[in-house]
Amino acid sequence: MKISNLLSLLCLLIAVCDGADDYQLGPDSLRKKDVPQGKVTMHQFSDSKVYPGSERDYWIYVPSQYDGSKPACLMVFQDGKWYQDPRGHTRVPTVLDNLIDSGEIPLTIGLFLNPGVIPAAKEGAKPRKNRSFEYDTLSDQYARFLLVDILPVLKRDYRITDDPEGRAVCGISSGGICAWTVAWERPDAFRKVISYVGSFTNIRGGHNYPAMIRKSEKKPIRVFLQAGEKDLDNLHGSWPLGNRQMAAALKFAGYDFRFVMGDGGHNGKHGGAIFPDMLRWLWRDYPKS
Amino acid sequence: MYKRIFGLLLAVVFSSCIGFAQDISLGHVLIDGEDWEKVVGDMQFCDACCTDGAGNFYYSDVGGGGGIRKVDTSGKVSNYISDIAGISGMQFGPDGRLYACQGRARRIIALRPGTAPDIIVSGVRPNDLVVTADGNIYFTETSTRRVYHTNLNKKGRRLRIVAKDIAKPNGIAISADGGTLLVSDHMDKEIWFFRIEEDGSLGCRSPYASLRLRARFHPSKGDGMEIDEMGCFYVTSDLGLQMFDPTGRMSGVMHAPQPGKPLVSVVFSGRELGYIYVANGDAIYRRKVKAKGVWQW
Repeated sequence: MKISNLLSLLCLLIAVCDGADDYQLGPDSLRKKDVPQGKVTMHQFSDSKVYPGSERDYWIYVPSQYDGSKPACLMVFQDGKWYQDPRGHTRVPTVLDNLIDSGEIPLTIGLFLNPGVIPAAKEGAKPRKNRSFEYDTLSDQYARFLLVDILPVLKRDYRITDDPEGRAVCGISSGGICAWTVAWERPDAFRKVISYVGSFTNIRGGHNYPAMIRKSEKKPIRVFLQAGEKDLDNLHGSWPLGNRQMAAALKFAGYDFRFVMGDGGHNGKHGGAIFPDMLRWLWRDYPKS
Repeated sequence: MYKRIFGLLLAVVFSSCIGFAQDISLGHVLIDGEDWEKVVGDMQFCDACCTDGAGNFYYSDVGGGGGIRKVDTSGKVSNYISDIAGISGMQFGPDGRLYACQGRARRIIALRPGTAPDIIVSGVRPNDLVVTADGNIYFTETSTRRVYHTNLNKKGRRLRIVAKDIAKPNGIAISADGGTLLVSDHMDKEIWFFRIEEDGSLGCRSPYASLRLRARFHPSKGDGMEIDEMGCFYVTSDLGLQMFDPTGRMSGVMHAPQPGKPLVSVVFSGRELGYIYVANGDAIYRRKVKAKGVWQW
């Protein structure tokens, strides 16, 4: 095969996967020479009371400026492996390095959690994948998982703020609706949300949120929703319409929110490209003086 | 050079396509123009759908007391075992015998045509059961809200309770690899998932999937269950046959052939296990589908 043929085939493949979105990472998502780098460490968690038997990898990002003299803010990421990946769609540790160094966001520890897997006891049997159950379920179970299972482990080694305004949750697709669900259920513990191409569709009832938001007393949540015109439209629903419904409901109910509709598909390219600006908006007035 | 460019571009493609689970809709299973067709009718109340590896289908007329009947792949109906009444769930074991729940007689029996029933467990009121390749039996006892386990291979079979406090445990199914047990609840919406532990006990309980309800607080009537070769699972219910993908997300609801009558049992059977059979009140129906069942032995 000629190289030109190969290239056109692969370009076609890329187009099929992504739609037309050609979002690029900006300078705040790339390593800067004179900015100190925080440290990312990998861990395993297999002691969940909320999801018995589940096992998962997770990563902790600690900024170089952290010395334990004061509590740090916290950002939690679903599908953490993708978000902490130095070659991934968002490269969170690098973005945090840059924006903490420039003073645009507060001192923040990043927690990157993978969804759980329940390994089979029987040899050769398949594990139970817990991602949809953990992320798509409309209940307080994932918030409890963070508060009961994970935060105590993190707090053994780090000082984390108890101020809910200083705690954010972020995710993509089902991880995006999960971020919203955590704050919706427990605004006493988490009040900042970022969702990339969030699954506000009927995977497990998430299409109900716009109606619930309109008919609930406003909760103290700040949320940034990113969506894409070429996102999924399948048995669970339409992702662009689901996110539009969310934005309309948030506007109706008077929330502090931003909604950006790009021309991309079901991926993290657009979200990753604007992530530094999302952070600036999310943390713009923290701490309130 | 080619290889390097190819590898680099492949990496770009895969890193930009995030690996989300495949979305499986009813369209992956249903065939245009293939609706339910009646297989057997005019019974009092049928249940206990079951298959053998050749695609012969078996059922019982629980209400009519007509014993266990067989429908071969050409559609011919015959008596399989005639003098056994009140079977509500059954499955062939790896030994070729038919293991059956006989609730009113308070026992589980193993059957072979022409021989007397072998009593496996007595003193319980079983509703539905599964038999595993390594000789474990799990069954539901709806009235006591329990799931039991026993092992066929051990002398002095020990009967033990392996799950309790499910509102009305009813249907039961096992993943093709023998690692996961599913239990439906006739009252609530939950489909309970369990890990089968090395000693046969059940662990890691989770309400992994939820049935759609007719109305809030209305009983789900979750009953018989079946798993296809993709790992999708099917649950008979008040609203019809509800299908879920392997990660517990609902794929959709197939209407019951007779919506006003109870839909209680489901199995893949027929040629190449390519048909879904259901027990729906007084009749057995089937439909040809794109999915296929799994024959374990």
